[in-house]
Amino acid sequence: MKKAISLAALVAATLPGAALADFPVRPIQMIVPYAAGGSTDLTVRIVAETLERLYPGTTAVVRNQPGGGGGIGTSAAVNARSDGYTLGAGAQGPIAILPHLGGTDYSIDDVEFVGLYARSLQVMVACANAPFDDYDSFIASAAERAPQIGNSGAGGANHISAEAFAQAAGIAVESIPFGGSSEARTACIGGHIHAMVASPAEALSAVDSNQMTPLFVMEDERIDLFPETPTAVEKGVDFTWSSYKGIIAPKGIDDATLNWLRTAIADVVADPQFIEVMTEMGEFVTYEDGPAFEARVRRDGDMAHSVLDALDMLGVNN
Amino acid sequence: MMETIAYLAPLLQPQVFGIIALGVLGGILIGALPGLTATMGVALLIPLTFGMSPVMGLNMLIGIYIGGIYGGCVSSILLRTPGTPASAATVLDGYPMAARGEAGRALGMATVASTIGGLIAAVVLATLAPQLAGIALKFGAAEYFALALFGLTIIASLSGDLLKGAISGVLGILISTVGADPIAGVMRYTFGIQGFASGFAFTPALIGLFALSEVFTQIERMAKQEPAVVLVKGRWPSRQDMRDSKGALVRGSLIGTLIGIIPGTGSGTASWISYNEARRSSKTPEKFGTGYAPGIAATESANNAVCAAALIPLLALGIPGDVVTAVLMGGLMIQGLAPGPMLFQTNPDVIVGIFGGTFLATIFMFVFGMALIPVFARILMVPRRLLTMSIVIFCYIGAFSINLNPVDLYTMVGFGVLGWGMQKFGFSQAALCIALILGPMMESNLRRGMLQTGDNILAFISGPITLFFLGLALFSLFGPVIARHLAQARIHKPN
Repeated sequence: MKKAISLAALVAATLPGAALADFPVRPIQMIVPYAAGGSTDLTVRIVAETLERLYPGTTAVVRNQPGGGGGIGTSAAVNARSDGYTLGAGAQGPIAILPHLGGTDYSIDDVEFVGLYARSLQVMVACANAPFDDYDSFIASAAERAPQIGNSGAGGANHISAEAFAQAAGIAVESIPFGGSSEARTACIGGHIHAMVASPAEALSAVDSNQMTPLFVMEDERIDLFPETPTAVEKGVDFTWSSYKGIIAPKGIDDATLNWLRTAIADVVADPQFIEVMTEMGEFVTYEDGPAFEARVRRDGDMAHSVLDALDMLGVNN
Repeated sequence: MMETIAYLAPLLQPQVFGIIALGVLGGILIGALPGLTATMGVALLIPLTFGMSPVMGLNMLIGIYIGGIYGGCVSSILLRTPGTPASAATVLDGYPMAARGEAGRALGMATVASTIGGLIAAVVLATLAPQLAGIALKFGAAEYFALALFGLTIIASLSGDLLKGAISGVLGILISTVGADPIAGVMRYTFGIQGFASGFAFTPALIGLFALSEVFTQIERMAKQEPAVVLVKGRWPSRQDMRDSKGALVRGSLIGTLIGIIPGTGSGTASWISYNEARRSSKTPEKFGTGYAPGIAATESANNAVCAAALIPLLALGIPGDVVTAVLMGGLMIQGLAPGPMLFQTNPDVIVGIFGGTFLATIFMFVFGMALIPVFARILMVPRRLLTMSIVIFCYIGAFSINLNPVDLYTMVGFGVLGWGMQKFGFSQAALCIALILGPMMESNLRRGMLQTGDNILAFISGPITLFFLGLALFSLFGPVIARHLAQARIHKPN
């Protein structure tokens, strides 16, 4: 890390003023900490493609380094040489949650935030044969028996969000971990669990065909896809949560290069074709610059910390 | 009817027709190269489909999927290197047949079997998708646990020596517990090495277990001056092969179709169960494992049947059954199509187009497969020493390219040494492989079920599907013992 910083400083010192004009001269690598084909991977590929289209001559290569709940690839990105040629996909689980579980060689402080390009809104849905079908009956039913809420992995983002909601609403839930969100979805449609947290896009088709029933939206305000579904906030529970997708980098990139990268991501997010393809996929395209992105991650990190503390999972892997 | 024909018309447009052919061909090459899997192929090419019509883009991806699963058999048969986990079981009979100089016949059998499996499953997909999709929803923790338990009993019949087979199986289950605990999320046996956080990576482990171990054995043999002469002849399975394999083909296709519908099981499981079933019902079970055509027919018909069958829950319910169909679901969403029951009403053109494309891709797979056999088989004419060293290089590249995780190289070499030792002392590598596939499925579902039912073990012996698989497990364990007992009793009677 220190070596990388001094190396970058050396390059910056020997090539005064050249960095801006000359960046990028090599392909920019974007590390996705998940296997090819997931939603993070697909959106980063769209970002890379848009970047190449908007900045002719620029090459952006996506590299998948899955494993360890995203920790391995994220570690590779934040520990890479800080010359701006290695970036990472900033996903909620590995940057805001995983360090609290322990076993990672990085923390939020090691991450440089380039920009956020999409948020994934979250809806709590009731599964087939659940004993509730709207927010009020969900809360009433939870008072009698803790509902079984499926998630995509212990200590993962939607495990934390379900438990954080339960904490805020003062109800008890029983979290059931699955190996990935499609396993949880299968169990939900099959009626093997009572509820789960889903993205609006994946919930919409299931709701239309009566496989799932939306309970509440984890936003401040109601969303276009589910205008009838209340938010937790309007039901008097101070709780919002969304997952996000952004671009991160190692700390220590020189200002000129970092500015180039931040402007590039802002341009990508403003591109109409980018917005169209992303929206088709059910992503909620929105731009937040580096500092706003960082503030969001730190806020989530604090919430994850308190939830994991209550679950007695803080630092289990240290 | 007229509508259906109209929906199929776009398939005959030259670009669509061509892109499916190209997808299949690319898929075959991807599958044949160890370390490149069908999943990666589909995921990498999704961005290309942005500008295509849904039928064109999705059928290209399906072509890659079908070609990729088939292509895996090539390196399994020729090099003992499973190109994809789906064809690990094909190693058992494919490699001995190729080593005998009949690589063409082995590849031909695999191609015919893949085609038959693919076509049967495609017929089921096109005719019964909505009706059968319901099966996918019946599987809860108890059902998955019973299925995994039944799968594990295959070990008993696959390994000649029951005790050594059991030891291999238990070792496999223990190895599969390395990594994050599926329920609590706590790291187990990683010794603080972050690269093992998800356990031993599966494909690198397989490459080591089967391919690198074989390289060691070959080197040993070369040191003893026993050069293996390998000739390559033929490309079609013989009439006798086809007669022998009839039952294996039909059963393999049906087993593959059924397992394909059950989400989260996949082609690896299907091919092992099919292999075991073919061997169990065969009149000459002792020929399995020696390069016997029905062994290849059973595994390859099953794993290609899974491809089309996995599309059933995806299209009819919006549930992806395996990793590739999860990626395909992403491909559908990009086109603005959400898979699920509504899709049949809102976009019948896409559904019919996908059904038709699945048939077309399977036929292309047959044509390209048959045409490429002589080309593939020529690999074996490379001098043995050079070939062996190139396999080593491929082992490294394959193991690394999956996750770009250097720790996977240690995994590959470690499993190579383990596999070599097991081979030398008569422990079944197949048993270890089955346990690696099914161990995690058994553990996570047992624990999830316990969590959901408040530690009620009785839940695991109730429900028709659970009881069915538990019954099969008992039958598979004790059937051979009872049969042997009866046979012995018959022999002793005349005395």
